[in-house]
Amino acid sequence: MNILIPDSWLQEFLKTKATPQQLKEYLSLCGPSVERIYKKNGEILYDIEITSNRPDAMSVAGIAREAAAILPRFGIAATFLNDPYDIKSKVESRKLKVEKKLFIKTDPKLNPRWASIVLSGVHVGPSPTRLIKLLEATGIRPVNNVVDITNYLMRSYGQPTHAFDYNEIGGGKMILRTSRKGEKIVTLDGKTHVLPGGDIVIEDGNERLIDLCGIMGGYNSSIKNSTTSVVLFTQTYNPENIRKTSMALAHRTDAAGLFEKGLDSELVLPTLVRGITLMEEMTGARLASKVYDIYPSPYKPYTVSVSKKKVTAYIGEDIKNIEKILTPLGFRTKIDASSVTVTVPSFRKDVTLDVDIIEEAARMFGYHNIAAHLPASEPPVVLPDVELSYEQEIKTRLRDWGYTELYTYSMIPEKLMDMFGLNKHKAYKIANPLSDEWVYMRPTLLPGILAAIKENLKHEHSLQLFELGMTYGYRQHDLPKETPVLMVAWTGNRLREAKGLAEAIAALFGLPFEEGVYGSVSEADAEILAKMEITEPVTILTVHIEEMVRRANPVKKYIPIPKYPPVIEDFSFVVPPDFRVGPFIDVLSKIHKLIQSVTLLDGYENKRTFRVTYLDTARTLTNLDVAPVHQKFLEYAAEKFGISPVI
Amino acid sequence: MTDRTDTPNQEPIPTPNFIGMLIECQEDALAVIADSNKAADVLRIELLGAKSSLSKLTRQIRLVPDADRAQVGTVVNDVKKSIIDAINKKGASKINDLRSSFDPTMPGIRPPEGHLHIVTQAIEEITRIFERISFIRVRHPEVDWDWYAFGALNMPANHPARDEWETFFLETRDKKQATRKMVLTPHTSNGQVREMEKKKLPIRMINIAKCYRRQIDVSHTPMFHQFEGLYIDRNVSIGHLKGVLDYFVKQFFGPERKARIRPFHFQFTEPSFEVDISCGVCNGAGCKLCKQGWLELGGAGMVHPAVLTNGGIDTTKYNGFAFGWGVERCFMMKAGTHLDDIRLLYSNDVRFLRQF
Repeated sequence: MNILIPDSWLQEFLKTKATPQQLKEYLSLCGPSVERIYKKNGEILYDIEITSNRPDAMSVAGIAREAAAILPRFGIAATFLNDPYDIKSKVESRKLKVEKKLFIKTDPKLNPRWASIVLSGVHVGPSPTRLIKLLEATGIRPVNNVVDITNYLMRSYGQPTHAFDYNEIGGGKMILRTSRKGEKIVTLDGKTHVLPGGDIVIEDGNERLIDLCGIMGGYNSSIKNSTTSVVLFTQTYNPENIRKTSMALAHRTDAAGLFEKGLDSELVLPTLVRGITLMEEMTGARLASKVYDIYPSPYKPYTVSVSKKKVTAYIGEDIKNIEKILTPLGFRTKIDASSVTVTVPSFRKDVTLDVDIIEEAARMFGYHNIAAHLPASEPPVVLPDVELSYEQEIKTRLRDWGYTELYTYSMIPEKLMDMFGLNKHKAYKIANPLSDEWVYMRPTLLPGILAAIKENLKHEHSLQLFELGMTYGYRQHDLPKETPVLMVAWTGNRLREAKGLAEAIAALFGLPFEEGVYGSVSEADAEILAKMEITEPVTILTVHIEEMVRRANPVKKYIPIPKYPPVIEDFSFVVPPDFRVGPFIDVLSKIHKLIQSVTLLDGYENKRTFRVTYLDTARTLTNLDVAPVHQKFLEYAAEKFGISPVI
Repeated sequence: MTDRTDTPNQEPIPTPNFIGMLIECQEDALAVIADSNKAADVLRIELLGAKSSLSKLTRQIRLVPDADRAQVGTVVNDVKKSIIDAINKKGASKINDLRSSFDPTMPGIRPPEGHLHIVTQAIEEITRIFERISFIRVRHPEVDWDWYAFGALNMPANHPARDEWETFFLETRDKKQATRKMVLTPHTSNGQVREMEKKKLPIRMINIAKCYRRQIDVSHTPMFHQFEGLYIDRNVSIGHLKGVLDYFVKQFFGPERKARIRPFHFQFTEPSFEVDISCGVCNGAGCKLCKQGWLELGGAGMVHPAVLTNGGIDTTKYNGFAFGWGVERCFMMKAGTHLDDIRLLYSNDVRFLRQF
């Protein structure tokens, strides 16, 4: 959460000679991050990010306390002024004429501390200019002096306070309870909320809801210009209830943002007391009731210890004067030979573990003062993931073979699921999609790739693209099976290239490509292309990486280089339309031991040229040796395949 | 050329005749060289090889009177040399012909040119950098139980810290699963406890995976990539984390760039840090792009004891650090890329992809 703090407001709580720039730099290094400083209407403003574990610092006083602890670490004197915890109640000692009573019923589980008072003789009107300027600078809209005082208290101390019009509270009765599902309340911004149930609310004697606790007061009991009697009300709540309500109603207020983080009940009374003083000074209010302070389980300070050895091990340095570091933050610190024990102040309940103390000590020592070292211990011996290495190798090869890599989204729209006939019941669907574009986890890469082809065809005429990414296979009662799949796509009929690429990839694994086992070569379905308005044919190669990895044969075996030269002959045939090269090569390469290989050299229209390599590993072949094999080759070609060479 | 050497001739040959035959052989060879289009190697075999006229003639040198043999030998060498010279000269002129016909202003013929996606390039670079300090890349699920994404990371159900990740949830049709939610991992930190569950210590891990968040603008896409470092050992210190950060920043961004850590808060680390690197544009002096000389890289921290416990690690013996940063963000923070809209990365426009 970010808050804006005007420099002059900060000076109410901090006495220092540090410049705003120094404050920004040093606070950021050791405490809350001051993201920027800027000037507005003559006021210097600090824009500060405060992490969710530190509600105590989400206020001007909280930042001042941090600054007063941090600045001296950089040699700059600083004193924390007007600590709210020092405010003592002088109310009880005054002679009170109780005119207006409150009848309160509350529940300490929902509301650990309740403090309220009735004030009468209030004159509602505008606040003094200075207060208006401060509130505006911190981003709060000034309303009237009563409401402005509550907002001033919230920003000063981080403790929200509410003011009710006493005369609008039926019978002076305030019953704090959880809401029933469907109950309605109009908050003071005029919005009507239907409550989900379990929300903390206050009901008055007329069975009306007058407060959506911790979030916003009710419209009915809000302060109006005609208001003369005010209930000033300061409290803490169970943070979980506040958060649930605020999220369910999507009603995020400054107060909710504070209450849901868990506020310090010890600060409740000091805030109320300060509020009473301000009401007296600024609105002419006088006390009309006693202070109702309902606080059945006061804070019991606890201690946390850490061994000195652990502090040194974490920080990598021996920290001297740890007491001097921790005391200004509010920790009473005791040190013995082996450990450091701190008494945790009520506002720092985020500190519960030894490592929490280490954090406090380390940040105040200064992370920038800790020397950097690479770990010197023995590294673990881990075998790299073979699948990842192969994936990288394939990607690099594809790049060098002229293919361009895509990263399409893992989530695809419902429209594409339907278009591709994919089973929506056997796919994972996002419950809270950001848009219709990203709804189902893709069971295949094809829709995303075809969508990319369609877009690119608007400005390209020939494409060869690939993606290597996860598909999400459906498993009942379980997480998806994430399977890495390579898909290569070409525009046009490129089936032979697709097959050749498949063979080349399989060769990286020391494997022959087996259609259907390691993947497949196909043309994209014409109907789907038509539906997608792609007018070019598209050739697709799919490769299942896992299967190739499982069967990979990475060891390359040495075959002795022949000592004698081979004899090479090329034969050209005119072939009939049903002629198939594969079986021809399979059969013909096995008819004689001198035939080392038969390969297709060229194929154009109805011509096929084969190259036959004859080899004897023991001697040089002569024409006389080859002649009968040559003859046999032609006989087989004629007899088994009905083809004869072109002369 | 008439073949004079095939008939076995055992009769003595008078020296002048032999020399005459050599000269004739030379003239024939030079004529062949002048007329032929054959390659130098072929000519060399044809005219100087074992089956050449010259070789056959040379073998008959023994039929020359003994006294003249040395003289004849010199002639043989001269003939040979003149043939070799002629062949070489012919070859050289051919190369010159090729040179002179080449237009050096024509564009060259290039090998095929494909392109790896920026994310792949960055992942590869990051993987290699960490591999050199024994942090080995692993892969953990991109779709995971919310236990690994949140619960195990010290963020129980309804914890406000969960809001910081705009998480996508998957629909569960299965009533039994109501309490066990599946999420698209909003960070790679789900890999922390999963890695610890392998029960192998110490750990030096880099988990690189896709992540998902419900956000889209110039610096966010609903799908992106993170890399997560996890180091678990005895006596791990904040200084070690700083050492690894410095190492990475200098290797990836350049030796002149610096790293720093500032206090922050995450539920799953204690202490937690925000990591900044010095701006590559102004080199730390402060400019429009950075916050007074520094750019935010991402989060890091010392692994929270609750997380170690969830991973079955004895916190009295072991501790560690973790960090998780965006791959795209790191790439865009490299000086000089001029890439100002992350959404371009997932537009799949080849006119963009071809630039890298």
